[in-house]
Amino acid sequence: MEKPPDIQFVNEVRLNGRNWIVAIAILVVLLWATPRVWKRIETFEIGADYRIPYQLSKDYWLYERRLQSTSPQDILVLGDSVVWGEYVIPDGTLSHFLDQRGSSQHFVNAGVNGLYPLAIEGLVKNFAPLRNRKIILHCNLLWMSSPKADLQENKAQQINHARLLPQFQKIPSYRADANERLSALIERNVQFMSWVTHLQVTYFNNKSIPQWTLADDGNDPPQYPNAYKNPLSQINLRVPTPSGDDPERGPKSSRHKPWTQTGAAPTHFDWVPLEKSLQWAAFARTLDTLRARGNDILVVIGPFNEHIIAPDSKEAFVKLRDGVKNYLEQYKIPFAAPGVLPTELYADGSHPLTEGYKLLAFQLWSDPAFRQWLPVKR
Amino acid sequence: MLFHTWPFLVFALIVFPVFFALRNTRLWIPWLGLASYFFYGWWNPYYLTLVFYSTILDYTLVALMDHCPLNRAQQNSKDRVLSTAAVVSIALTIASLVTAFAGPVTLRPTLILFSVLCALMAPGALLRSRRIWLLVSIVNNLALLLFFKYAGFGVENLNALFKWAHWTYQFPDPGVLMPFNFPYLLPVGISFFTFQSLSYTIDFYFGKCERERNFLRFATFVCFFPQLMAGPIERAKHLLPQFKTFPPIRIQNFTDGGSLFVVGLFKKLALANYLSLYVERVYENPSTQSASALAMATFAFAWQIFFDFSGYTDMARGLAQIMGFRLILNFNNPYLATGLGDFWGRWHISLSSWFRDYVYIPLGGNRRGELLTYRNLFITFLISGIWHGANWTFAIWGILHAIGVMITRELERSAFYRERVPKIAKQLGVFIFVCFTWIFFRAATLSDALMICGRIAKGVWTDPRAPALMLLLVLAVWLYQFFYESRAREFLKAAPIRVAIAVSMVIYITICSSGAGSFIYFQF
Repeated sequence: MEKPPDIQFVNEVRLNGRNWIVAIAILVVLLWATPRVWKRIETFEIGADYRIPYQLSKDYWLYERRLQSTSPQDILVLGDSVVWGEYVIPDGTLSHFLDQRGSSQHFVNAGVNGLYPLAIEGLVKNFAPLRNRKIILHCNLLWMSSPKADLQENKAQQINHARLLPQFQKIPSYRADANERLSALIERNVQFMSWVTHLQVTYFNNKSIPQWTLADDGNDPPQYPNAYKNPLSQINLRVPTPSGDDPERGPKSSRHKPWTQTGAAPTHFDWVPLEKSLQWAAFARTLDTLRARGNDILVVIGPFNEHIIAPDSKEAFVKLRDGVKNYLEQYKIPFAAPGVLPTELYADGSHPLTEGYKLLAFQLWSDPAFRQWLPVKR
Repeated sequence: MLFHTWPFLVFALIVFPVFFALRNTRLWIPWLGLASYFFYGWWNPYYLTLVFYSTILDYTLVALMDHCPLNRAQQNSKDRVLSTAAVVSIALTIASLVTAFAGPVTLRPTLILFSVLCALMAPGALLRSRRIWLLVSIVNNLALLLFFKYAGFGVENLNALFKWAHWTYQFPDPGVLMPFNFPYLLPVGISFFTFQSLSYTIDFYFGKCERERNFLRFATFVCFFPQLMAGPIERAKHLLPQFKTFPPIRIQNFTDGGSLFVVGLFKKLALANYLSLYVERVYENPSTQSASALAMATFAFAWQIFFDFSGYTDMARGLAQIMGFRLILNFNNPYLATGLGDFWGRWHISLSSWFRDYVYIPLGGNRRGELLTYRNLFITFLISGIWHGANWTFAIWGILHAIGVMITRELERSAFYRERVPKIAKQLGVFIFVCFTWIFFRAATLSDALMICGRIAKGVWTDPRAPALMLLLVLAVWLYQFFYESRAREFLKAAPIRVAIAVSMVIYITICSSGAGSFIYFQF
């Protein structure tokens, strides 16, 4: 065969076959080993009532690590910001109050702020390697309260946790180019990439290192405090612990008040029928995935703030809630459907306040279905 | 589709294996053409018609030229192809005129222009004139460029002139000429594929290359995907022969191509995109920036554009090399140039040689005395500046380079400059001058550019807050280039050094890349 003429190089970064083999071998080892070694050298302190801090919500690598750190006997409470506790501090969440009442069981807050069923599905499939565990899965009917919440509106929306969405399923409100969709898929499947996101989220304020070096402080005129900093000095190998005194959450915060005091009024909800809902379909698939992995699931439905529903949309809500119950009964999935809480215990349509969570935990403990589902005391 | 995005990886994973699998068939060229059209259509499928139109017209024109031999005595007066061409062009002229006035209004401007082109072709066939065919090709390619790239700028300036002269008439937006109300966008890579196609007709006219009879091969030459969007602008005599037979493929194709691609990827993702963040921050609102920030951003832009464009061509050359094709070198460490002439021998080599061969030399080059040489240099650089974009800033940029080339040409005549001035001083001088010209290239308007120059000259020098990491990366590359062109090159050749650099680049890209921004030269 004729030898092709040589191509001109203007640098010496020209690897031959042997060099490539060495380079690829080094890269494969680095890519494989770095996230694994990192888990050993990075301090990750998990206290009682630990929940993934708000600013680390998109660190799915850390979420996976958090789940791996739980004991196989722990009961995981999985869900969106209702489980996580949007208006409350860690010791005001559902898992905390369940834990308080449970004598031998330990309930773990496995909720993430900003999730919704379509994102929970992605999280469970890719970052929650749960097998043979007892899991409480929260079903928040808020995500079926309108075509917009169900991501069915045919216009682009700013979507939280978009990287967890099914990338090649039609979701009308999710608009992303092929590159974004493929990079989300790759991040899910290559641990090194989710570890890179962990670095960015945990140490560089959700930014890439170049963006972090250029970040301004928000003042006018802006200052650039990181310009001369060594990025490596940011990596202190310690995952930030949630601050005990969160001004945005808890009884002391101005947000922690009944919805009736926020100026909100009963609202008409354009409920999406169960059979047409994308979020419900995702919820059902999540149940399938978790059950297929041998997990024992209990679904907690709501309780949605029915006081906020205008009378004209109440009937559709009841139909929807009954539809969920029927589905769970049909597939013999244990569930609890606690009754609606008093109006003053809700902060909005779906999030209880601290006392609301306390009452909800009490209701669950009083529910025979819940008690029956719990592991037998040894 | 951008080389540094995931969809391109999927594209490559399909295109390359099929291409290699087709090596023993005649289908590899159609496959390459199809892949290239898909690659271009990914950006905007409507504009594929433009590439196809340009291709088919130049292919036809060269075929017709082939029927008009250079020597008129050899012409066959009863050539049936030319007779048919005459009839077809007259018929097409009439048909397009009739359709223009009887058909849809939105098609009228396009059809009228097409009828003019057909009307130009008729005398070519009747007079059996190669020159007319060449003229049609030049007019057509330049008309495409002028319409899509410069019409908006021209109309804007004419309207401003009319307003200044208190004339009430205003030209409409050129977008109204678009057929079927298609959006009036600058087609990506138009300056590159029109120049490549044009070079074929010009070279054939002057007998410098052979006619390509296979249409698919010619179409693939025009739209060959690695270099379609931003070059290097290949010549028919270099690239077309490579498409005659399936290229010999060896391991070295993959190792060399992979090396080029990784270097290009690093330049783009790790360096150009990082620098662009700082440059945009400063140049977005230059009037509020300090002199030092403006100077630093100009320095950063000099490197941004180098990394962006040379990164693209490295990737393009790497991809072509993997398939067994060799694209010409486009950048040769230009910031080590010791003179402006040297700089243009190292920067965007395929474009500067294009202008040298098709503008500077036809104008007379340096054969008609000093004064005319400088006139020719001036015209060539002015056109080169305008080629980059429809803005006065690009024209000034071209003129400044013309002046720079003239000055260094004169300086190099003196023995003192040639022999006594240290090389490093010349290199720094050229670099500083080139940085100064980049102000005009990067600024949004001419007044912004002048204001930036004024602020740098007179302004307050404060802390520019340019990230230390960014500067460190640039200095590391600059130092590498100095080493590469010095005796220290031997040290860089050591296998552990090469492997360490390649591995570090990949790791850096994976951990620190700053998004998938587009390439600067796509807009030209």
